[in-house]
Parts: sequence; structure tokens; C-alpha cells
Amino acid sequence: MTASLEVLSVEKKIEDFLLGPINLKLESGTVTALVGNNGAGKSTLLKTIMQLARQDMGEVIVFGSNTNQDDESWKKQIAYQPQTLMGCDSFTGNELKVLFSKWYPNWDDNWFGNMVDTFDIPMNKKYGKLSQGNQQKLLASLTLSKNAQLLILDEPTAHMDIVSKRKYTDFLTEWMEREDKTIFISTHQMEDIRKLADYLIFINRGQMAGKFEKDKLAQQYKRYWLAEDLPQVSIPGEIERKGLRTVTTHLPLEAEAYFLKAGMKWHAEEYIELEEAVTYLLK
Amino acid sequence: MELPVHLSKESRVPIYHQIAGQIQAMIASGQLAPGAPLPSIRTLSKDLEISAITTRRAYQDLELEGFITTIQGKGTFVAKVEESLIRSVKIKSVQQAMEKSIESALQQNYTFEEIETIFAELIEELKIKKGGKG
Repeated sequence: MTASLEVLSVEKKIEDFLLGPINLKLESGTVTALVGNNGAGKSTLLKTIMQLARQDMGEVIVFGSNTNQDDESWKKQIAYQPQTLMGCDSFTGNELKVLFSKWYPNWDDNWFGNMVDTFDIPMNKKYGKLSQGNQQKLLASLTLSKNAQLLILDEPTAHMDIVSKRKYTDFLTEWMEREDKTIFISTHQMEDIRKLADYLIFINRGQMAGKFEKDKLAQQYKRYWLAEDLPQVSIPGEIERKGLRTVTTHLPLEAEAYFLKAGMKWHAEEYIELEEAVTYLLK
Repeated sequence: MELPVHLSKESRVPIYHQIAGQIQAMIASGQLAPGAPLPSIRTLSKDLEISAITTRRAYQDLELEGFITTIQGKGTFVAKVEESLIRSVKIKSVQQAMEKSIESALQQNYTFEEIETIFAELIEELKIKKGGKG
């Protein structure tokens, strides 16, 4: 598989906040979620990739082109969706569509019409007068219709209602059916992660805190309901215990060997929910 | 189309194996007929809330074993499966279900002899209910 995006030892200092060094590589045909608490540096990383903030160190490579150059044609291969669109408050949806469709050579008008109809966006209203939810739906429609190879989305569902979120997930899924598309999405919504992501990248206080294949992440943790009280000391890989007999570990094999050796039986075991695994990693 | 696949968090069987096994059973029982379309990898991944990597692995196994075929640009379809393969899947799925029941009886501290008795009684009951069929 070929790389859509490579971030190599990128560092960016903003006042006393230091992002990086960040190293990551997204392969085409994959969806990667960027996960981190508020202020972890997710938006800064995405802006740096788009060169809206220039990195102090390191390189960003988009489809083989270094972004640190005067030629900005690499930008047409990316559809970036910021949290808010600056300087567009006085334009209507229809006017924005004309502007966007001119700039992007692969603009897909049918797709745009379909999203606008599905989301029922008032296209004659000025962007600044739309509700936050409708602004986000319009922005999402404009972004996907660029039909670029790489989508970079900064919390695209933060203001959407439940039904719209579901529809948006379906649109992104359909969009990924097209050949060799890649999505990099920063989000706080578990549903986005559960339904869309193949990989999760964690970022914590500006630092990379790990990259995981989604299904392997939840399977790293296992919970056991024991037949007798747990010992006072921690068991191997112990993360959390509830009551005297329920314990969660990130080293299931070692924990089971320990239980067997101690002659401890358990009634039930299960892999934990993805949401719990994500929470453990963000703590 | 939606597939009634159910993933278990308790099971030690890997997720891709669970998916492949359940689709095999649907094909063997005729619930999925030859030529029937299967959901795309992305759609099934979304529905089951798993990564496309896992779903792809399940589809690859099913394709290797001859249960499904992928036609470039058209999608994935149920293949025409040989009768002998269907028979072995059926036997395997019945065996697995029974094994699971026996395991749960053993967990309740029943002996094998007691389990045999329960089993024989159940068979007698079912014979009466179903009017002595089979």
C-alpha cells in the first residue's frame, strides 16, 4: 500500500505549548481517527499538515510531495475541513458552492446536491446566519464534494444532531468505497471511532501516545470475574478493580497464568468495550 | 444488504473467524443463496463496528475456502458451494453448538453421565413435540 500522508519528526512550538516530535504515516484505503483530550494538540497537528501553521522542525509529505515549497498543488489532493470556516459569514451556501467548485478540479456536483438534500441545508441563507449544526453540514458537503484523495477532518460531527451524524457516517462510508481514498479524522465522538476507524492515533499533551489497529486495541484488555477474592497485591497488568472479585488487565495471558498458579478460578471473562480502552489510554 | 452477524466479546475466537464462521453457516443453511450479494467490506465494518482490516481478513478466508467470490468493480457474491463442503460446515456448526451446551453444563458442575441423561430426556421431549419426525 502507498502512503497518502507522512509526517516526519514534526515539531511546532506555540507559546509554551510544544507539539511533537510527531511521526505518522497514513496508508491509502484506510481511516485513521486522531484521538486526544481537549488541548492535546490535535487541531494544531492538522493545521501544521495543511501548512496553515508552519512547523519549526520536520517534514510533511503528501502523496510524495514535500509541503514545504512554493508550489502548492499538493493542496488540491487534500480536502481539509476546519472546525469553523473563517471569513465566509457573508456568503450563502450557493455562493460558497460556486467558489469551491471552481478551485477543485474533481468537484462532484451530484454528490454535493445529494448531501445538501439529505441534510436539508438552507442554501440561500448566509453561512454566518446558519445554526452551528447546519454550518457543519454545509462544510461537510463542501469538503466531501471536492472529491480529493485525502480527507482531513477536524471534529466534523461536534455540532451535528444524532440523525445527521448517522447520515454523515453513511456518506463517509460510501466515499471510502471509491478507490484509494484516505481519511484522517480528529474526533471526540465514540460513534465516529466505532463505525469508521481502522486505526487510532492517540495524542497527549502534544506527544504521540500510540497508534493502534482498532480491533486489536480493545482485545488488549480483558476483564475477569473471579470465584474468590483477589489478593491485596496487584495482579499482572492490573488496570482497575471493581469490588473484591472483578479485575481488568492489559496482560491477559500473564494474568491467567498467575490465576492458574494461585489456583484461582474465574466465572466469566470478556474483552472490554472499545470506549473503555480509549478512556484508559487518555487518562 | 444487512447480515445478521453477532460478535461475542466473551469468545476467545478471533473476530474475523467469528464473522467467517457465521457467514459460512448462513450459506450452508441456504439463508444466503449462490449469487446473493454480500455487503462491501466498508459497509460491513461500519455495521459491525470493527475495522476494515478485520472484515477484509474474514472475506479473504471465505474466498480462499470457496464460499464467496469477488468480482472487480461489482462486489462480493456468494459462490456456488460444493455439497460436501456444505455438509462439513453443517456438521461443524451443530458440533460447536452442542459443545457450547456441554461446556456450560460442565461449568455448572454436572458430570458427563448426568449431561447424557439431560440430553436423552431433551431428545425424548422434542420427539413428542415435533411428532416423531427425524
